[in-house]
Amino acid sequence: MQDMTQMSTTEQFLFYIQENGWYVFNQFLDHFLISIYGVLLAALIGIPLGVLISKYGKLSNVVITLANIIQTIPALALMAILMLVLGLGKTTVIVTVFFYSLLPIIKNTYVGITTINKSVTDAGRGMGMTKIQVLYMVELPLSLSVIITGIRIALVVAIGITAIGAFIGAGGLGDIIIRGTNATDGTAIILAGALPTALMAILSDIILGIIERRLDPVKRQQKRISATV
Amino acid sequence: MRIKLLLVGVIILSLVIGGCSLTGNKSNGTIKIASVVTTESQILAYMLKYMIEHYTEEEAEVINNLGTSTVVHQAMVNRDANVSAVRYTGTDLTGALQAEPIKDADEALAYVQKEFTSQYNQTFFDSYGFENTYAFMVTKETAEKYKLKTVSDLASVAGELEAGVDTSWMNREGDGYKGFVEEYGFDFSRTYPMQIGLVYDAVDSGELDVVLGYTTDGRIASYDLVVLEDDLNFFPPYDASPFADNELLEKNPEVKAAMERLVGKISTKTMQELNFLADNNLIEPAVVAEDFLNEHDYFSGGDE
Repeated sequence: MQDMTQMSTTEQFLFYIQENGWYVFNQFLDHFLISIYGVLLAALIGIPLGVLISKYGKLSNVVITLANIIQTIPALALMAILMLVLGLGKTTVIVTVFFYSLLPIIKNTYVGITTINKSVTDAGRGMGMTKIQVLYMVELPLSLSVIITGIRIALVVAIGITAIGAFIGAGGLGDIIIRGTNATDGTAIILAGALPTALMAILSDIILGIIERRLDPVKRQQKRISATV
Repeated sequence: MRIKLLLVGVIILSLVIGGCSLTGNKSNGTIKIASVVTTESQILAYMLKYMIEHYTEEEAEVINNLGTSTVVHQAMVNRDANVSAVRYTGTDLTGALQAEPIKDADEALAYVQKEFTSQYNQTFFDSYGFENTYAFMVTKETAEKYKLKTVSDLASVAGELEAGVDTSWMNREGDGYKGFVEEYGFDFSRTYPMQIGLVYDAVDSGELDVVLGYTTDGRIASYDLVVLEDDLNFFPPYDASPFADNELLEKNPEVKAAMERLVGKISTKTMQELNFLADNNLIEPAVVAEDFLNEHDYFSGGDE
């Protein structure tokens, strides 16, 4: 076999990907799923909570302050605390991601709903809609793009946090990065872990950005108008 | 609108199915293999994983990158893991068991096996077949020039030689530098404490004559270094073994059988080569382990 130490970093990187491609792909998938699960769980709890606090203004301060406090804890510390309760492995990382995703999702839901023009909801009520109907047919569709923005922010942050999760044995691309830091000459290995992580964050940002623009009621309407003209 | 709903449905469904492969196997007492950050430990962790998955219906998960052997021990006691990729007799003797070091390899192994069974209900298997301890090593040329085979052979020429050793070994009590000078009764002309990863290159390039390194490091094989025998048994034995919780082994005897297939199968030389593949040739430990097992047909011999 060739002497790897004589190759340039780029060559080493390409060689690494070629030799371990399948492994990198599996870690990529694991990494992505951990992030997605944390964010989805947070959306399941966060969106209803955001709707709730937009209806009961008094609650909003308490809930948003709490979520803010969670956000100030360093990721590694929160993970270490959760580890004491939940043990090592993926579950702990998913729960950590969940906590970090709460704030952007709750806040965006809250903002999305409270900034809807009052005349629109009043029109709904005037047409005889119930409160639930107003929520489902008027408020949620109008605030959907803002809510998606929250999920988008949460997911990008989550991908970064999952990389740290390798320290408590959760796997993912962070595993590859840590191994690179331990190897004698690991620049290529670090790149092989870091570049896909960055790629994943950028791609999810772009894709959710597209979805967000599609759901934006103002732009949708403009499109419809320009189509008819 | 309907297409959109369908799309959302498909995405959610695929996530749920994907999730089963990620976390679903946790429910029915999955096997979790704890591994520290070293390449060696990671290779062995994946070997155990693939062996168990090859011979049993169980799924195994590797918990990687734990900081030290103490963390692994704690994880096993807390039931976060039920298998350790590799445990060394010397480390566990003074670490987890808090006992006095035992110089004889067989005695040490027998002791840790007995104590782990009675104190923790865990099984310390017989050795993989290699040990990872400190050893003095020289280049082939130096060995031939001075006719060196054992550490004692160094005594007459040590005054002319310069040595490089691990920084932490320099100041260690017991089996450290001071103890070494007392036990063997000689000293090198100069001794440089340095980072352990650098000693192999230093001796290979001729900057130093003799260095203290780890016996399973891949560079020993690639630089063709001669490991000097520790004839006075100064360094405590660090035989490497698989390790598992008895609860798991009793519930799944096939897991035990699968793990035992690796006992005695990996020599120090083999481990050097495997470490070399991962450290020097950039092949992931998981891939190294899989290739090695495929090459040996998962040690399926002896089935009949």
